[in-house]
Amino acid sequence: MEGSIEQQSGPVSDRPVDTSSAPTTPAEPEGLSKNARKKELKNKQKEEERRRKEEEKEKSAAMTKSQVQKPLVADDDDIDPTQYFENRLKALAAQKTAGENPYPHKFFVSMAVAEYAEKYGALESGQHLEDVEISLAGRIMSKRSSSSKLFFYDLHGDGAKVQVMADARHAVMDEAEFSRFHSGVKRGDIVGIVGFPGKSKRGELSVFPKSCIVLSHCLHMMPRQKVVPGSDNTTKKETRYRQRYLDLMLNVDIQQIFKTRAKIVSYIRRFLDRLDFLEVETPMMNMIAGGAAARPFVTHHNELNMKLYMRIAPELYLKELVVGGLNRVYEIGKQFRNEGVDLTHNPEFTTCEFYMAFADYNDLMDITEKMLSSMVKELTGGYKVEYHASGYQNEPIEIDFTPPFRRIDMIEELERIANLSIPKDLSGDEANKYLADACVRFDVKCPPPQTTARLLDKLVGHFLEETCLNPTFIINHPEIMSPLAKWHRSKPSLTERFELFVNKHELCNAYTELNDPVVQRQRFADQLKDRQSGDDEAMALDETFCTSLEYGLPPTGGWGMGIDRLTMVLTDSLNIKEVLLFPYMKPVDEPPTKGTW
Amino acid sequence: MEALKLSSQPFKILIHLASSKSNPIATVVTRTSYSSSSSPSRRHIVLRCCTTTAATPKVPGRNRRSSSTSATPSSTSDRARVSFTEFPVDELKNKGLEPYAYKWDRTHNANQLQDIYRHLQNGEESKNESDYVSIAGRIVARRAFGKLAFLTLRDDSGTIQASHGSSHMALTYMLFGTAMTMAKEARSPDLYCEKERLMNDQFEQLKTLVDIGDILGASGSIKRTEKGELSVCVDSFSVLTKSLLPLPDKYHGLTDVDKRYRQRYVDMIANPEIADIFRMRAKIVSEIRKTVESIGYVEVETPVLQGAAGGAEARPFITHHNSLGRDLYLRIATELHLKRMLVGGFEKVYEIGRIFRNEGISTRHNPEFTTIEMYEAYSDYESMMNMAEEIVTRCALAVHGKLSINYQGVEICLERPWRRESMHNLVKEATGINFIEFGNDLKAAKEVTLATLADNQQKHSIEACPSVGQLLNEVFEIAVEPKLIQPTFVLDYPIEISPLAKPHRRHAGLTERFELFICGRELANAFSELTDPSDQRRRLEEQVRQHNEKRVAAESREKGKETDNSYEVTLDEDFLTALEYGMPPASGMGLGIDRLVMLITDSASIRDVIAFPVLKIQQ
Repeated sequence: MEGSIEQQSGPVSDRPVDTSSAPTTPAEPEGLSKNARKKELKNKQKEEERRRKEEEKEKSAAMTKSQVQKPLVADDDDIDPTQYFENRLKALAAQKTAGENPYPHKFFVSMAVAEYAEKYGALESGQHLEDVEISLAGRIMSKRSSSSKLFFYDLHGDGAKVQVMADARHAVMDEAEFSRFHSGVKRGDIVGIVGFPGKSKRGELSVFPKSCIVLSHCLHMMPRQKVVPGSDNTTKKETRYRQRYLDLMLNVDIQQIFKTRAKIVSYIRRFLDRLDFLEVETPMMNMIAGGAAARPFVTHHNELNMKLYMRIAPELYLKELVVGGLNRVYEIGKQFRNEGVDLTHNPEFTTCEFYMAFADYNDLMDITEKMLSSMVKELTGGYKVEYHASGYQNEPIEIDFTPPFRRIDMIEELERIANLSIPKDLSGDEANKYLADACVRFDVKCPPPQTTARLLDKLVGHFLEETCLNPTFIINHPEIMSPLAKWHRSKPSLTERFELFVNKHELCNAYTELNDPVVQRQRFADQLKDRQSGDDEAMALDETFCTSLEYGLPPTGGWGMGIDRLTMVLTDSLNIKEVLLFPYMKPVDEPPTKGTW
Repeated sequence: MEALKLSSQPFKILIHLASSKSNPIATVVTRTSYSSSSSPSRRHIVLRCCTTTAATPKVPGRNRRSSSTSATPSSTSDRARVSFTEFPVDELKNKGLEPYAYKWDRTHNANQLQDIYRHLQNGEESKNESDYVSIAGRIVARRAFGKLAFLTLRDDSGTIQASHGSSHMALTYMLFGTAMTMAKEARSPDLYCEKERLMNDQFEQLKTLVDIGDILGASGSIKRTEKGELSVCVDSFSVLTKSLLPLPDKYHGLTDVDKRYRQRYVDMIANPEIADIFRMRAKIVSEIRKTVESIGYVEVETPVLQGAAGGAEARPFITHHNSLGRDLYLRIATELHLKRMLVGGFEKVYEIGRIFRNEGISTRHNPEFTTIEMYEAYSDYESMMNMAEEIVTRCALAVHGKLSINYQGVEICLERPWRRESMHNLVKEATGINFIEFGNDLKAAKEVTLATLADNQQKHSIEACPSVGQLLNEVFEIAVEPKLIQPTFVLDYPIEISPLAKPHRRHAGLTERFELFICGRELANAFSELTDPSDQRRRLEEQVRQHNEKRVAAESREKGKETDNSYEVTLDEDFLTALEYGMPPASGMGLGIDRLVMLITDSASIRDVIAFPVLKIQQ
């Protein structure tokens, strides 16, 4: 696309240099070709692939040109980054001294870049609509020139891009001014353009400026190299997360991840709103961190001289609202857990929890199937998504969201697969010993404390979760693992609970809520025992919550889902950091790197 | 509704049960019974009589109710009574009944029934099989006479009615064998229960084991009484959840304000209109989202835990990450991260989220509160004013259906356009002082100010102002702010107090910034964003310097003591670097959602619009 105009109108001398230095697609940098392949596999769109190739070509072309034509364009890309920054600061200071404002307050934009591409995409090759005046704005991501009278730019705005073909003949400025202005425009600058639409002879949609203005300046050298997800270069990957704005500028795909994320959240809201759920907000700072088993963050309110915990789950508050008469409530929000950081864990993460009076876990499984399958269908057009579970260099797996999802009974299935016969009384020492032996036998590691709940969890992780690539409900967890779930109506010592696993990771957790206050107090007491035996993730008693149960919680189904993990699956991301705009990073000693990634 | 469809199977069985038992109704009894529950207010009075008079000593559970409901509803300890109250649970269990049911298949809520049977004539009963309904809710009133009983259930089908903030849906069902009435005004059906229509000993169970506060499921046919009230004639019912604690009395109970917030669920059971506030809140938030998404804004999430807390001037909460051994701050604004998104190429972004400030609590302040911050490339503060008008008016229309609303007895007119006036002119209008004349002459400005403001209570704070701009703001806060009752955009703030706003394109020393005031309160704050990285660095450095000066001064005044300023403010270097990569000209706005909800729901305190506000530690 972009390169094409140039091939046509650019000086011939460029071409040989261009082709020799611009690698053809197969020889692209490794990270990119992976990404390109992934993209192709995902979208099966040749169009996309073509664009990518050309973009790459154009990029190297621009690079070559800046070297070849330095005297003409006066592009100083190869100078020292610090020097570059100083030079640009000086240029700005000079403008200010001359009484010009280098940062204009407002530029009227008549349409977004994407809108422009859509509206004028159908023009004929070579057609110019000189009577139409439009104004566009965006960031210049590439600059080429063939003479002091003709400059080409790629203008990026909100995920779309368009070519700018600045020809002195169309400009309101005189030639000298035109040349001076355009040599001063740097890659990375944000510009506003007033001009007319048209297509080049080669069919490239362009805008032909009558006037241009720099709206904001990129004072640093804009990095050339894209770093894409799946790249092996750790420092570069880190820089992507630390300076997400650069990542977003350079990789249009990354913006798409966050737009998909917004769509997922919006879909969930619409789905629940249609079922008459009410969105509520409950505190993120509590006196007691309840509703889950995890180490909380602690903070302190100075004026009230009060120790507060960051919430680890909104569960108890939401159930209190159901007691209060709001029969269907949900909250989408941040949870905080004071835990390490890895591929699927960030200290703060987003969940959706909903509570539905008069429903049980069977209803919730139906709702889960309906919500996820219809969401996947709306976002991707089908029920199946491809996911590079074992890295972008390997073949992707296919995850099938076609309902109904597989349902497996936890204890039954564990006994069947591992050929075990677990004692029925799971709270006794016998069961504990049996499971500890089983762990040793199968070489399943369970670091102390070896409570029965933890032993079971490890065995289930080893034998069952591993089989859950497609969405699978693991159901009917034992009471000892589920202090807030109601006892099973027909299976002793089990609860009415399910967890949904997708690609071996837990995505949802739900149960028929325990609403018998006497039993709930007993369960908290049992948790306390586990806590005393060293499990510091056992749940703490919340007195206000127990009192609320004494006022009567209707039969209720409660449900929670990790939004980040769902987004990972639906955007083919392997690391939770890919779906968080600003993931948690260890501090760096030196200030952020400038233009050196 | 989809959810209900999912599980319609078990309900069919219920219908069979019900229809097989559909005896003719004893109409005479029905009529007399209806007459005793005609208006909602009377119903509540009857309710109390009922619980006390109906208290027969033969069941322990009943004793406990009568004594508690009438005597000390809420102030005594809840715990003290539990030992009593486990009896009814045991009693249910002894009879082979489950006090904590697993689920109940509801076919309708009160609101839907009112809608569907709108055309049912007085005295008419609908007898089609499809008219057997199944409902559920909490019993809020109960009367039993011989072979007849009335129950009032409440479910949450309340919808926000235009112009009625507090129209909750109380479902009054009359358990009698079979029925429910709805009082027209409150749109609340009654359960109507006749002994003959109920199976076996269900009527006895109803009289002895079912009480106010319990959550009940009931099914039966629909009838409109001679008095015009819709009711359910109950064929069968089931206790879904047994309540162990007495409900507080709406009229005498829950005067303990602190307890209302601490145990919000009790507050909501006793005062259903409380729940309406949260329904309206959800509606407002949803309306805001719809408004901004309709013009292309994308919702994003930025971190709560940060290495440096920037974007505002406030004391942050500090926490500690154990495994990484590092202190973190809770965000005090979302501004700096959202601006990074603009640098990254997003053109319209917003975030609705929680902000944390380590400050005192009051009727207007909670340590955590919710804001929307929104940023739009290539726009300026003028367009944000239109945006603010659009958001607030659409929310008011969504909730009230009109633009004239009442806040604490004051009529607020939200008709657009709203007044737009510069801070200088507003101060001049209120005090006669023209601050433009002073230029940078702080001394002259102070003299005039002190001479003009009759009430010199603020003398100290006026003298402490280090610049003309800050003095202007001080005078504005004293003399103008409280008077801005009708919606007013205050424009063009001094540069000294606006470190993130762009300098005004025409007036030196001012910025392109506005704050929106309604009822004397700041509701929104917006500017043309500062995009010049050098200028931004200078201003933030100045902010840090001033903060440190104050901090040192305060610490030397009160040696060793914690003061309001004893926290650290650091430069967010990464944000400045982002600006150096170039941020498009943009405008941004922050709007306090809690305050907007207060305004629209006519709530006096922020604690009324936050479900679980932060409170002092209970003694």
